[in-house]
Formats: sequence, structure tokens, C-alpha cells
Amino acid sequence: MPAYKLTYFNGRGTAEIVRLVFAAAGISYEDVRLEQDKWPELKPKTPMGQVPILEVDGTMLCQSNSIARYVAKQAGLAGKTPMEQARVDMVMDVMDDMGKKGNAVFWEKDEETKAEKKKEYEETFLPQFFTCVNKLVGDSGHFVGDELTLADITYFNTTNLVGNYFKLPNMEEFSGLKKVTEHVTSNPGIAKWLKERPETPF
Amino acid sequence: MPSYKLYYFHGRGRAEPARLMLAAAGLPYEDVRIEFERWPEYKPKMPMGQAPVLDVDGTMICQSVAIARFIAKESGLAGKTNMEQARADMMVDGFGDMVNKMADYVWYEPDEAKKAEKKKTFYDTTLPEFLGYFEKLLVANNGGDFFVGDGLTHADVFFLSLSDDITAEKPDVLGPYPKLAALAERIKTYPGIKEWLAKRPKTPW
Repeated sequence: MPAYKLTYFNGRGTAEIVRLVFAAAGISYEDVRLEQDKWPELKPKTPMGQVPILEVDGTMLCQSNSIARYVAKQAGLAGKTPMEQARVDMVMDVMDDMGKKGNAVFWEKDEETKAEKKKEYEETFLPQFFTCVNKLVGDSGHFVGDELTLADITYFNTTNLVGNYFKLPNMEEFSGLKKVTEHVTSNPGIAKWLKERPETPF
Repeated sequence: MPSYKLYYFHGRGRAEPARLMLAAAGLPYEDVRIEFERWPEYKPKMPMGQAPVLDVDGTMICQSVAIARFIAKESGLAGKTNMEQARADMMVDGFGDMVNKMADYVWYEPDEAKKAEKKKTFYDTTLPEFLGYFEKLLVANNGGDFFVGDGLTHADVFFLSLSDDITAEKPDVLGPYPKLAALAERIKTYPGIKEWLAKRPKTPW
């Protein structure tokens, strides 16, 4: 069993998807949380001047989605065939679009523009978005196949993170997404992590 | 052999890495180029109302990177181990970060003054930082003939696509990055890609 070391700041952010996959997979790892003042020293040693990074067998991986996909594959949580894997990747990227759009609103500097964009995101974008994504869920209550995959975990994580700042629509209306959430939160490894993970502002 | 149909607009845009990948893989496909006025007919049929979409025997995949990675895997060009695949994926994500920063001023900034400012920041600050990292990572892979392993992967193909975009705006932008520049030139001559580059429709984007 290789030794895994995940490094990020002390928060959920873009590392949380990786932590959730480790939890679902039951794979132990070192969860390094950097103090901000230690970052300048580490930055030039990272592949792209960013965190999270995953160190495994002497190799440093960066880019949260690539790291999450790598760990998911090690545990068979990334889809069983190339087509299943493509469908998982598609859901990951779709959720990424939602997260990035939310981020852009969050970081908007002009207060008036920000308020407008927040309203548009919450009242127009999110309901339409979730309606579309809900259609991607299979009868099994999973996005791909009939078992938990990285697609389900990504959906849960992004929605969870976005919901911390934005007002989500009434999620009861999206029966498929509800089932996905139940599957994710009832996964024993994930349930344990959600209870134990540090409370952090981001 | 499954039948492949790629739906996008009449341009390189987000679909070109997939087209380059299909060319490198030698996979025949229908290159459907949708006129903007006809897009409302197609939009409701797409999984997320967006393009590009790859239709594989009736199953639809959206999201440009997911599409290209699928084609790469189908043709053994995605990396030979989970670790190689992860390293290729991480390069593609890095290129994507750059593409998104470009898209921000090219497509999404309506104010001309802000647009010019963002473009300047991109070329003065963002691009040198990223390309510096990419050059280092390329060289670290056995001297830098390919980003991962000892053969073409989707990482190299996505780099070619990025290089197309940045050199179109500033032709000598890869000057300080000899290995990246050499890789882009070499991938242009890869069998399949060479032919596609010669015959692909010439479009402004």
C-alpha cells in the first residue's frame, strides 16, 4: 500500500473532493493542512504553484480533479468501462462549471454587481442547472451504473460547498439528486468523515 | 467499431482537442458543425444544453475534456498506468486553467478597456508563470519529448491546441520555452494530426 500525503490549506475548498474519495474508499492518507505562512516556501516545489497536491511513491500530483480521479481509480470508484468513466468525468466537469460560476460571483469586487449576480445565480441559474443535472441520474439513484462513483461524490461535494454561501433551490424537487445525496451521505466512510472533519470557514 | 458523431459549432473552440485526438487515434467520425441559427433545435437534445457533445452509438457525452479523454483511452493514448493517466490529466487541467483565463477576456469581457487590461495581465503575468511550470514538467519527463511516458497522450494534444490559441495572438510567445515549442512542432507532424491540420476548415476561432 503506497503512502499518500495530501497537502492543502486548512479548509475544504478544492481539496475536499479528494478527502471524500479517500473516505469512501477507506484508504488512509496524511491530511496535511498548511498554515498560510508556510505556503511561500512550498509553492515553488509544487508542479504548478498550487495546492492541493498529492504525494505518492515520490511523485507529486496537482489539480484536484485529476487527484480525485486517480484515487477513485485506485479504489474502483471511477466507473468500470471507458464509457462509464467518460460519464463520470462528464458529471465532474458539469459540477465544476457550477462551482466556478459560483466562485466568480463570490469574488466579484463591485458590491452592486455582486448582489445582482448572486440573485441571478440563485434564482435563475441554479434551478435550471439542477433540473438538467437531475435528468442525468439513473434509476439506480446513481449518476453512473448502480454503485457509488466519483460522479455522485462530486455532485454532493460541490452542492454542499456552494450551499454554504448561496441559497440553493428547494432540492426536494429533484428526486434523482435526492437519491444521489442519500447514497453519498450514507456511505459509511463518508458519513464518518462528515461527522469528524474539522469545521473551517471555507 | 462504434459510430462517432461530434457536435459543435463551425470553429475550433472547445471541440478542437477532441478533433485532434480523433485524428491521432485514426478514428473516423462525423464532424457536425452547427450553424448558430440552428442551435435552438439541437440544444434540448444535448445532456446539458451545451456543445461539444460526442454521440457514441446513441450515448451522449458532453464536456470537452471528458470527450477527449474518452477518445484517448479508447485508442490507448491516455497514459499506460493510473499514475501516467493522472499526470496527463493534471497537465490538461493546467492547460484548461490557462484557456479559461484567456476565454475570460476574449469571450466574456464586454468592456473594451477592461478587456485590454486583462489581456495585458494574461500575457505579462499569467502566461509566463504557467508556461514556466509546464516547461519544467515537460523536461522532467525524460528530457521532454512528451509530457508523460514515451509516447503521445492527450496531454500533448491539449498542449498543441493551447499553443495554437496563444501563438495566434502572439506568434513568438513560446520563444522562452524551447521544449514546449519543440513539442508543439513535433505533434503537428504526428500521423493523423498532420493530415487533419492540413485539411481542417480555416475558421477565425
